[in-house]
Amino acid sequence: MTMRSTIRDVLMRIRGLGQRRAMESRLDDEMRFHLDMLTEQHVRAGFSPIEARRKAATAFGGMERFKDEARDEYRSRLLDELGQDIRYAARVIRRNPGFGVAAALTFALGIGASTAIFSVVHGVLLTPLPYDDPDRLVVLWESQPARGNDRNVVSVPNFEAWRSRARSFERMAALVPLPATIGIAPGPEHVMGAEVSAGYFEMLGVSPASGRTFASNEEQNGGADVVVLSDGFWRSHFGGDRRVVGRTMAIDGRPHTIVGVMPPSFDPPRFAWLGDQAFWRPFGPTDNNRGWGRFLLVVARVKPDVPSDAALREVRGIAAQRATEDNRNEGWSATIVGLSEQITGDARLPLLVLLGAVGLLLLMAVTNVANLTLGLVRRREHELAVRRAIGATAGRLLRQIVTLSAVVGAVGCLIGFIAAVGGVRALVALLPLETPRSGSIGVDAPVMLFTALISVIAALGVGAVAALRGAHGTSGVVSLRENGGRAAARLRGGSLVTAEVALGLVLTVLAGLTMRTFAKLRTVDLGFDSEQVVVARVGVSGSRYRTPEARKAFFDQVLSRVRALPGVQAASAVSTRPFGGMAPATTLGDASAAETGDSVVADVRYVDGALFRTLRVPLIAGATFDSRDALDAPPRVIVNRALAQRLWPSQNPIGKHLRVPMFNGIVPEVIGVVGDVHLMDARTPPRGTVYLANSRFPMDALDLVVRSSVDGASVVRSLQSIVTVLDPALPVYQVTMLDDLIGRALSRDRFTAALLGAFALVSLLLAAVGIYGVFAGDVAQRRKEIGIRVALGANAGGVIALVMRRALMRSLVGVAFGTVGALLAARAMRSLLFGVGATDPVSFVGVVMLLLVVAVAATLLPALRAARVSPLVAIRTD
Amino acid sequence: MAEKGRGDVLQGTLDMLVLKSLQLGPMHGWGITERLETGSERVFQVGQGSLYPALYRLERQGYIASDWGVTENNRQARFYKLTSAGRKRLTEERATWARMSRAVDLVLRMGEAEA
Repeated sequence: MTMRSTIRDVLMRIRGLGQRRAMESRLDDEMRFHLDMLTEQHVRAGFSPIEARRKAATAFGGMERFKDEARDEYRSRLLDELGQDIRYAARVIRRNPGFGVAAALTFALGIGASTAIFSVVHGVLLTPLPYDDPDRLVVLWESQPARGNDRNVVSVPNFEAWRSRARSFERMAALVPLPATIGIAPGPEHVMGAEVSAGYFEMLGVSPASGRTFASNEEQNGGADVVVLSDGFWRSHFGGDRRVVGRTMAIDGRPHTIVGVMPPSFDPPRFAWLGDQAFWRPFGPTDNNRGWGRFLLVVARVKPDVPSDAALREVRGIAAQRATEDNRNEGWSATIVGLSEQITGDARLPLLVLLGAVGLLLLMAVTNVANLTLGLVRRREHELAVRRAIGATAGRLLRQIVTLSAVVGAVGCLIGFIAAVGGVRALVALLPLETPRSGSIGVDAPVMLFTALISVIAALGVGAVAALRGAHGTSGVVSLRENGGRAAARLRGGSLVTAEVALGLVLTVLAGLTMRTFAKLRTVDLGFDSEQVVVARVGVSGSRYRTPEARKAFFDQVLSRVRALPGVQAASAVSTRPFGGMAPATTLGDASAAETGDSVVADVRYVDGALFRTLRVPLIAGATFDSRDALDAPPRVIVNRALAQRLWPSQNPIGKHLRVPMFNGIVPEVIGVVGDVHLMDARTPPRGTVYLANSRFPMDALDLVVRSSVDGASVVRSLQSIVTVLDPALPVYQVTMLDDLIGRALSRDRFTAALLGAFALVSLLLAAVGIYGVFAGDVAQRRKEIGIRVALGANAGGVIALVMRRALMRSLVGVAFGTVGALLAARAMRSLLFGVGATDPVSFVGVVMLLLVVAVAATLLPALRAARVSPLVAIRTD
Repeated sequence: MAEKGRGDVLQGTLDMLVLKSLQLGPMHGWGITERLETGSERVFQVGQGSLYPALYRLERQGYIASDWGVTENNRQARFYKLTSAGRKRLTEERATWARMSRAVDLVLRMGEAEA
C-alpha cells in the first residue's frame, strides 16, 4: 500500500469512528429495506403478509447478528492493528526494561511536577474569586503620582465623595480591619475582624446562612453594635448553634447583637492588611473618623456596561475635584486595581516563573524520552528494515513507534499524576504562609484536564520527534546493508544535546539568580538584632482603659514585671513590631522651614524608651525617651538616620523641631537619632521613621519585645501569667520569636529558590543522562569508523578528543541558545531579584561552566569506551 | 453466514461476483442477491450475512461506492456502484479466475484425455 492509501485508510477510520452512529443507522435502514423486499417476494409467492414477514425474518436469521458482522468487518482492522501495535510496544518494553523504566519515570517526573505546580497556579491565579461576577469587583486606592505612591488607603471624606458622586459603580464599600478582644468562654481572646460599610455583602453577592447582614441605617453614628459571624468562628465558639442570632457578644468590651452567620463557602477578600476575618461589624463615617486621615480599604462593583478605563477616569476626575475642595488632597489622585489582581498580587510572578520553569522541565523530560525512544528505534533498525522489506508499510512502522511512545507516556503520566496528587499536598504545606487563596488549591477537574492535555502533547511530542528523526530508519532508505556502512555519519540526536543544554542552562540560571537573591536577603543588615527576642502583643480594651493614664499604667506594670523575670536582659514595647506588617505613616517636615506640598513621608512607631537597647538599634546621637516624656509634657521624637539626613543633611538634628500635621499639628523636638531599621521587610530600604514616646501617647495595644537568655517558651508563659494577674480579661497574642518572624517574611523567596533549585538539579540530571545517551549511541554507531581511525594511527587521546569535540560543539550551541533564553527569562522575573542583576555575571558564567562540565562529564564514559575500540573492528563485519 | 441451500458461493469468489453484478449497473443489496441468484440459475444463494460485510469491505477498499437512491417502487435504498478501481479489480479477478478454472479443468480432465 502506498503512503497515500495509508492516509486514506486512516482518514476513513477516523471518520468511521466519528460517524459510528451514522453507520449504525445506515445499517438499520439497509437491513430493513432488505427484509421488506424479502417479505414482498413471499407475498407474491402467495403467503399472507404476516406469514411472509415471519418467513422473511426467519430466513434473514436475526438482524442483530448481521449488523454485528457488518460492523465487525468495518472495525476489525483498526482494532486488530491497534491491538497488535500495543502488544508490540509491550513486547519491546518488556525486552528493554531499562528503557521502559527510564522513559516512564522521566515522563512521570515531568508530568508530576507540571501537574503539581499547575494545580497551585490554577488554585491561586486562575480559579475565579468566589463572588458574583468577580471580574467586575475592583479595589480603589488613593495615589500620589508625583511620589510614586500608587496604592494608598483612602480617607473617609474621599470615600464618601467617590461613593456619592461616581456613576460607574453599582456599589462601593469601605473596609477597616478590626483586631479585637472577644470575651467568650473559656477566656479572653484576640481575633481579627473587619468593619464594613453597608451593602458590602450585597456587593460581593453573598448572603448569610442564617440571620441577616447590615441594613443601611446601621451605618449611622459610626456603625451600630451588631455583628455578623464567620462560619468558622460560629462553629468554634458557638458550636454551630442556629439560635445564636439575637444573642450578644462582647467586642472590645462592648456588647454587640449577633444578627447573622455567613455560610462556610464565604471566603472574604484578603489583601493589604485584611487577613483572616472572624466577624464583621458595620462601619460608618463620623465627624470624628473624617479627620483620621487615610485608613480605609475601598472595594467597588463596576456597572456591567462601564469599561474599566471609564471608571478610572471618573474616579480620577472626582479626586481632582476633591483636591480643590480640601487642601489635604493636594497632589492626590486615585487608581483602580481588579480585586483578583489585588488579592493575588505578589504571588503572581513567582508562581508564573515556577510554572514556566516546570514547563521547561517537562520539555526536557520529553526531549529525554524522545532521545531514549530514538535510541531504541535505532537499535532495532535492522529489524525494522527487515520488516519493511517483507511488506510492512512505512506508515505502519511509524504508527508503531508512536504507539510505543504513547504506551510509555500513558504509564509515565499515570505515575506522574498519582505522585502529583500527593505532591500537591506537600507543596501546599510548603507554600509561603501569606500565599493568597491557598484554600482553593487541589487536584480538581480542570487540573486533571490540564494533566491529560499535557500528557497527550508530551507523548505526541515524543512520538513526533522519534518518528521524524527515526523516519529514515523505517522508510526503506536503510536497507539490509550493515549499519557501519555510513562511515562519517553525522551525530544523531545532536539537536537533542543542544536542546538539553539550552533548557538546563535556562533553568539553572533562574535557580542561581533566585538562590543568590535569597542568600543576599538573608545577609541584609536589618538594623536590629533579632536573636533570642520574643515578641507578643497585648491589647487593652473596655472601660477600664478609657483614659491614657490607665493604659500607660497597665503597660508600665507589665514591663517592670517582665524586666524582673530571671534571664530577661531587656524588655520594651513598640506599637508595631519590625516585620509586623502595615503600620501608620505620616507626612512631616522641618518646623522652621516653609510648608511645601512636597512633604516627607515617614513611618510612625510609638515606643517605650528601652526599645533601641532591647533590639540593639544603635543610638547615633542624643538620647532616648525618659521620664520627661509624661502625658502632659511637650512631645519629643527620635528620628532615624535616613530621616535626619533627608531633613538636615549637614546640621545637627538634635534640638530641631518637626511639624507633624497628622497628630493635630504637634511640633515635637528631636531628642535622638537612631540607626535605620528595616521595619517592613528585608527588600525595601528603610525610609524615614519617627519614634514617639508611648508614655506621652499611650496606645491600647503594644508589641512587647523581650530579649532573654532563657528559652522563649518559658518567657512567653511568664508573660502570659503576668498579664493574667494584672487583668484576666486580656489576651496575649501574636506570640513569636522575632527570628521566626523574619524567616517567615523570607518564606516566599525561600520557596521560589528551593523549588527552582530542585528543578535545576533535576534538569542537570536529565541533561547529563540525555547527553550520555546520545554519545553512547553515537560511539556505538561509529565503532567501525573509530576502528579505521585507530588502524590508521589515531591514539586514544585523539579518539577521546574526537568524541569530546562533538560534545563541546553541540553544547556550545546549546549554551548560546540557553544564554539568550535565560537573559529573557531573568528579565521577566527581575522584580523578584534582590541584590543581583538580571544579567548577574556570577550566575551566568558559573552556570555556563557548570553546564559544560556536566556535558563533558556525560560524554566522558562514551569517549573512554571509544578510545578502547580495537582496530580489528574495522575489518570485522556484524 | 450463508443459509443452507442449493449451493453457497465458492469461498473467495463472492467479491468478484458482487463486482460483476454491479458491472450491470448500480444496485442495492437486495437487488444484488437477486442478480446473483437469477444469474446463477438459482445455484447460488447469497446470505445477507455474507453480502453486507462484503459490500462494506469492498466499499472501504474503494472498489465500490454507495449512495442513497430510490427504487422503481419509489423506496429509499442504498445503491452500490462500481468505481474505476473496482472495474480494474474485476478484470484482474476474472483473469485469475479464468486461469484457475482452466487449470482446475485441465487437472480434472487428466485421466479422461488418456483414456
